[in-house]
This record gives sequence, C-alpha cells and structure tokens, in this order.
Amino acid sequence: MTARLRRPTGGPVGPLCVLAAVLAGAGAVAAATAAAPSSERSVVAGWASAAALAWCAAVVVAVVQRGRAGKLRVQLAQAQARVEAAHAAALRAGADTAAAVSEAQASRARANAARTEAEAARIELLAARSETVEARAEAATARAAADDERAELARLAEQTIPAVVGRLRAGASVDTVLVEHRQTAHEDLLRLMAREVAYGERQRAAALAVCATAAGRVQALATSMHAELREMEHRHGEEVLGDLLRLDHSTAQAGRMADSIAVLTGARTGRRWTKPITVESILRGALGRIGAYQRVRLHSASTAAVAGYAAEGVMHALAELLDNATNFSAPPAEVHVYVEELHSGLVITVEDGGLGLSEVWLRRAERAVSGEALDLTALSAGTRLGFAVVGALARKHGLSISFRPSSRGGTGVVVLIPETLVAHPEPGAAEPVRAAVQPALPAAAPQAAPPPVTDGGLPKRRRGQTMAAATGPAAAPALKVRQPETASRFGAFRQAVQGSQPAPPSPATPADLPKDNS
Amino acid sequence: MTRVGEPARDDDPDRLYTVTRGRSQATRHAFDVVTLIVSEQEPQPGMQSEHARILRLCVRPTAVVEVAAELGLPVSVVKILLGDLLEAGRITARHPRFVPAQAKLPDLDMLKQVLHGLQKL
Repeated sequence: MTARLRRPTGGPVGPLCVLAAVLAGAGAVAAATAAAPSSERSVVAGWASAAALAWCAAVVVAVVQRGRAGKLRVQLAQAQARVEAAHAAALRAGADTAAAVSEAQASRARANAARTEAEAARIELLAARSETVEARAEAATARAAADDERAELARLAEQTIPAVVGRLRAGASVDTVLVEHRQTAHEDLLRLMAREVAYGERQRAAALAVCATAAGRVQALATSMHAELREMEHRHGEEVLGDLLRLDHSTAQAGRMADSIAVLTGARTGRRWTKPITVESILRGALGRIGAYQRVRLHSASTAAVAGYAAEGVMHALAELLDNATNFSAPPAEVHVYVEELHSGLVITVEDGGLGLSEVWLRRAERAVSGEALDLTALSAGTRLGFAVVGALARKHGLSISFRPSSRGGTGVVVLIPETLVAHPEPGAAEPVRAAVQPALPAAAPQAAPPPVTDGGLPKRRRGQTMAAATGPAAAPALKVRQPETASRFGAFRQAVQGSQPAPPSPATPADLPKDNS
Repeated sequence: MTRVGEPARDDDPDRLYTVTRGRSQATRHAFDVVTLIVSEQEPQPGMQSEHARILRLCVRPTAVVEVAAELGLPVSVVKILLGDLLEAGRITARHPRFVPAQAKLPDLDMLKQVLHGLQKL
C-alpha cells in the first residue's frame, strides 16, 4: 500500500533530477568557460563538458536505480498483499469447511429422520396392504352374493313369474299359486305381482262377463222380437207386410251385432237350432243379417244341411263375410255365393267385385281367421270386428277359411264346412226340402228299435253318418203319416183361412175343387 | 193363442224378406186367396226351394191359401212367390168364380123363394 502511494510522487522526481543535473552541469560548464583565460578556454571547456557528462550519467544512473528500487518495493508490497489474500482465502476455506461439516451433520440428521419416516410409511403400507386384502375378500364375497341374487332374479323372471302368471290366467287363486313358490327369495315381490295380475285378470273377466251378459240380453230380445214379428207377418195382410219386413231386417242386424259381441266375449251363441238347417236356409239366414242383402246372388243347388248345433255359428260367420263383401264392393256391384259339395265337406265361396283387399289386409284377414287364439287387444278400437268374429267361429266349429283374389276382380272367400257338420238328405227322397223344413219327430212315433237319441229327444248322428241315416227308418214313416191328403188339406185350408182375416167364406169344399176342374 | 199349423215359434232361420228378396208387394194383383194354381213345369235344381215346393204341390190345382198353409208362409208372401212363377210361365192361375159352374147358379128370385119356404117351415 505504501508503494502505491509513493509511486505517483516517485515518477516525476527522476526526470526532474536529471533535468536539474543537466541544467547544473550546463551552468558549471558555462561558468568554468567564462572564468578560464581565453587560451585555456577550449581545454577547460572540454574538461568541464566531460565532467558535466559524467555528472549527468551519474545522476541518470542514480535515478534509474531509484526507480528500480521503487518497482521492487511495489512488487514486495504486491507479494505481501497476495500472501495476505491467500491467508484470508485459507481462513475462508476453513470457515467453509466447518460450515460444510456442520451441514453434513445436519443432513445426516435429516437422513436419519427420513429413514424413520420411511420406516413408519412402510409399516403403514403393510397395514394398508392387509386392509386391501381384506377388502378384496369382502368384495369377492359380495360379488358372489350378487351373482346368486342375479341368478335368483333371472330364475324369477324366466321361470317363476311366467309360471305364476300362467296359473293366474288359468283362473287359480293367488294363495294356491304362491304355495308352490313359498321358498322363493323374492316372495314379497312375487306376492305383490301375483295380486296385481290376479286383480287385472278378475277385472278383465268381469268386463267380459258384463259384455257377454248384455249381449245375451240383446240376443234374447232380438229372438223374441223375431218371433213376434213373424207372428205379425202371418197375422197381418199385405198393407203392413213391408213395414214388418223392414223392422224384421233391422232386428236381424241388431241381433247379429249382439251375436258378434257374444262371440268375442266368449259367450254361447244366440240360439241353437234343433234340426239340421238346409244350405239354402243357412245362406238366407246369413243374408238376412246384413244390410245390403239384395245385392247378393245365391247360386246353390245343394240339398245338404248343416247340423243344428253348428248352424248358427256357420250362419253368423257367413253373414260377417257377406257383410264384408258387400261393404267392399260399390252399390251396383253384386256379390255371388256359390255352393259346392265335396267329399271333405261343403265349400261355400263368396266372391265380390270390389277393389279387393290389399296385401296387408289380406294377410291380416288370413291371420284373423287362422287357428290363433283370439287376442282382444288386436282389435283396433272396435272397428273391423268381422274377421275376428269369423276367426272365433271358425275355430269353434272347425271351419277352414281362405282368401284369394277373385276372378271377378275383388276378393274371394272360400269357406269349407267340414263333413262332420254336414247332413245329406236320404238319396232318392221324394221331397228332401220338405223333409228338412218340416222335421219328422221320430221320438213321437212308437218304434220297435228307436234310433239313439240325445237327452232332448233329438236323433243322435254319429260322426261320418248323415242325419237321414241316423233318423233312418223313423223319419220315413213319420213323413208318410202326413200323407193322407184330404185330411191334411182340410186342416191346412181351415188354418190358412183363419190366419188371414179378410178371407171370404170358402166357396166349396177344397177337396172337391180339383174334381170340379178335372 | 197359437193356432194349429202356424209356426208356434220362430224356428226357421230364413227371414221372410230373404224369401221374397226384399219385396213386400206382389207385382201383379193376379191372385186372391182362392185362385187355383196349376204347375206347368217340373221343379229344377238350383231353384228357390219355395218355388220348387209350389211346383211340386200344384201338380193338381191348388188354392193360394192352401199353398200358403202347406209352405207355412203368409199368404201375401206366397202371392209374391206365385207372381215370380207366373211371370216365368211355370204356373197358370185360374179364378174359381170364372168356372163354368157359375153360369148354372139359380137366379136370385128362386133363391128368395127357397128362403121364404124354409122360413115358413
């Protein structure tokens, strides 16, 4: 530090000394020259100059040496400073080392603490793992239980419930049905469901029963009105016949509606005929129940008859088909009905000239009249009941019904009445129609070996046997009994005259009239 | 109330308007209850059963009222059916009052005398 302070002052001292020495030398030279005699002057000057030069050189050397000493002093000072700095650095390094040591100790302590923490964590982890294992075991148990539950539910849905519902639909009571399923896991659920189903079933049955009862009453009314109307038609003359026939027609249509409801609700048919009904009467009976009966043309030469117990159903089914046919063909178009006797039964074809059923309706109609059980929910809001009714009747009596496009442009419906329902008149009978319309009463005539009869006293016809064969020997004599002409004619004439009020007194004995003319 | 021979109850499925095919009046008033009917043809298959029965019945002359009784149908309905047959030429009809016997009836005076004679007895 001292060297640094001295150095600025030491710098200009050298040159100043040199300059002063030069000036002094020059002055001494000049003085010596001036003082010396002129002869000696050159020698003195020479010597003086040499002395001056030597002086100057000595001064320069001194200045240079001084400068070198200054530099050395500076270097010394620098070295001292460096040593001090190194010392300080050494001191600092020691301090650093101490800090590092303490830090290392601290970190070791931390490491220890961390190790203990890690240990604790490991213990916790173990505990957690054991818990996990337990939890997994529990989960497995729970899953097994859930599987059991699911299997139980599946069994309930796939077996138990359908079985229970089926039994309930069949009319069993809730308690009876549930006895079999008392051990079921979901007994409460099952019981609740069974109650609801049974209640719904009872409601359905009640609604059906109400409809059936109402339909039955209307049927009974229509039947009694028909009987009264027929009686009036006999009693009154031509002047009111038209009105009576119109009433008769309306009553017949109302009766058919009631019959349809009765069929759909599963009630019995409106009335039972106690004798075989000829095909002609079957067709006309069907005709009488539809609105546009005058547009229907019958083409039948058949003398066969349909068994009494099935006659009403066949008539009703035909009426529905004829009604459809007339509804599907515009008013001037006629509907034609053909009858054909086959060995398999009686085929009745109804052909209309209408637009024809669309593919969809044809399929729907086929399905409706097929063997499937009647599903009331398939009926669309009370319209188009006809096919459903026909289907129910076809199932009941074993009629087979098929639809096809008609050669007349519309639809053809082919109804096959099975042979078991068909009775044929005795071959060679003089008056087959008469025999059918005015049935013989075989039970009334005493017979040596009476044919088998039903409880109601009607002849019993075995399957595959005709009605005529069943009544056989009994029917023919009974018919013959009626033959004595005169007596019956007397009787008939008298009754007829009484039947029509304005009849004049008989002009002559009716039995005599033919004689008069002949 | 039920008379003998008349249908006691409604035991035929075919209604009368289907028998007459909707008609309630005979087209021609050619018949009264005593008109005699004679069939001119045999019944043919495919014929309406009532027509066939009338033809079978009237092989010998028969009065309209007899036909009605035999068929169990009202006289007015039978008249309509007979009208069909008459139009088709399957029957002929004759009124009994036009028979020749009418001309031989005794005159009114004679009858009155007989009546007086009887009353005096």
